[in-house]
Amino acid sequence: MDRDSAEWWELVAKGVLAVQRCDSCGLARFPARAFCAACRTEGWSWARLAPLGVVESWIVSHWRAPEPFTVVRVRPAEAPGCVMYGTWRGEREPRQGERVVPLFTDQPSIEWRPADASGSDA
Amino acid sequence: MAKRLLDFRDATALAGIGYTSFSKDSGVSTLTLACRAIMSALDDAGLGPDDVDGIATHRVGDSAAPSLVGPALGIHAPAWHLDQFGGGSVSHAIVGQAALAVAAGIADVVVCYRAINARSEFRMGSAPNPSPETQYLAPYGYGAPVQQFAMYARTHMLKYGTKAEHFGQVAVAQRAYAARNPRALMRRPITMSDYLASRPIAEPLRLLDCCLETDGAVAVVVTTAERARDLRRPPVLISGAAWGGGDSFLSPGEPTVTAAAALAPRLYGMAGVGPADIDVAELYDCFTYSVIVQLEDYGFCAKGEGGPFAASGEGPPVNTHGGFLSEGYVHGLNHVAEAVSQLRGDAGERQVAGAEVALSTAQPGHILPATSALILRRG
Repeated sequence: MDRDSAEWWELVAKGVLAVQRCDSCGLARFPARAFCAACRTEGWSWARLAPLGVVESWIVSHWRAPEPFTVVRVRPAEAPGCVMYGTWRGEREPRQGERVVPLFTDQPSIEWRPADASGSDA
Repeated sequence: MAKRLLDFRDATALAGIGYTSFSKDSGVSTLTLACRAIMSALDDAGLGPDDVDGIATHRVGDSAAPSLVGPALGIHAPAWHLDQFGGGSVSHAIVGQAALAVAAGIADVVVCYRAINARSEFRMGSAPNPSPETQYLAPYGYGAPVQQFAMYARTHMLKYGTKAEHFGQVAVAQRAYAARNPRALMRRPITMSDYLASRPIAEPLRLLDCCLETDGAVAVVVTTAERARDLRRPPVLISGAAWGGGDSFLSPGEPTVTAAAALAPRLYGMAGVGPADIDVAELYDCFTYSVIVQLEDYGFCAKGEGGPFAASGEGPPVNTHGGFLSEGYVHGLNHVAEAVSQLRGDAGERQVAGAEVALSTAQPGHILPATSALILRRG
């Protein structure tokens, strides 16, 4: 955890999904950075996002692990220009474009489960 | 556009290449590997350590620095050195930078090396990565190169319908080349059935999609084109060298496009050639997928068509040494050395007839958001 990112992790620990929003041009950005890459200004505020994401891709990793696990690449629904990763918490494989909700762990970290709640093949 | 200070195209040459043997346990230090490869490359060129006035490597904290290698070979006070931080994405950058130093007259003979005990000492994905961005991956057990490339490979499959069999054809074709390469670690031919039956590592990638963790070293000698013409071997001219940024794993850009797409036009322009002129392509193959995406981003086929294109066998011969998948993984310089062999016409049973122009590329920029590449020409 670096100094730029410390506040983001504090928000995660409180169960808040957030990205920075540029005070000048409004661009949403993640991970936390001092400067807006679009307008190159420093002012920014935390933007609290609806707890909802969209699956872009995923892997099922067997690499040096006792059991396979799935990791998803997700874009927050309210900040589709940002990319996040997390462990998948569903009973089936993810689907591209499906909506997912964040689960905030004590680690802290963000995991993702299907928005249809059950995560089953219904 | 930068002011052009020197005429770079074909001003410098690769005059020698050298290898250690490739293994799963070298039993020696990376310093020893580096010295052996450099001595081998100098011998190939008909030069000795006293001729060397520049030393370059790239590493990620895992290997011997030029400041160790120089004194170890009695190369005192070199006029130029480079200790580039970085993995495969900068493997070709060090050769390009050496060529710049030589073209500018700062150094006359530069040895570029990569020495790595990638199986017995330094396994990729195990070592700490100092980038602050890894904090966003580590909690999920994610971040190893195979996992990251698997994520991009899946995205390509979802978007373009690329199939496992397309990846498999890359692995099968490269193994067939390796069967003709005495240096290669894996020479037993494989079939598509072998590929499909190989165990999953990070789905959609399988074992046979992955490069070989290898102990070994490769070195190449860069000097002026003029001097190279008087040396032992036919010179191989450095026609173009390019560097480029791209998107990292946290960037919002299009995930099926690599940094190579922006670099390729600059590289071709520098060398005065296009994809159709490339007789042989040594494309960074940490995983089969990286070959497919580079076939697109270097303009051999349209975006999205890399899978069927690779499987069709169209385009130039690719990874004629067997690549990282079958020859061994020396982080990029073995691709440069193979391109040199092909252009000198000394690649033995795997020689591509009439090879005049070669493309050799670094990791296309999916992990560190940068890449590098060279276009080489028979002198």
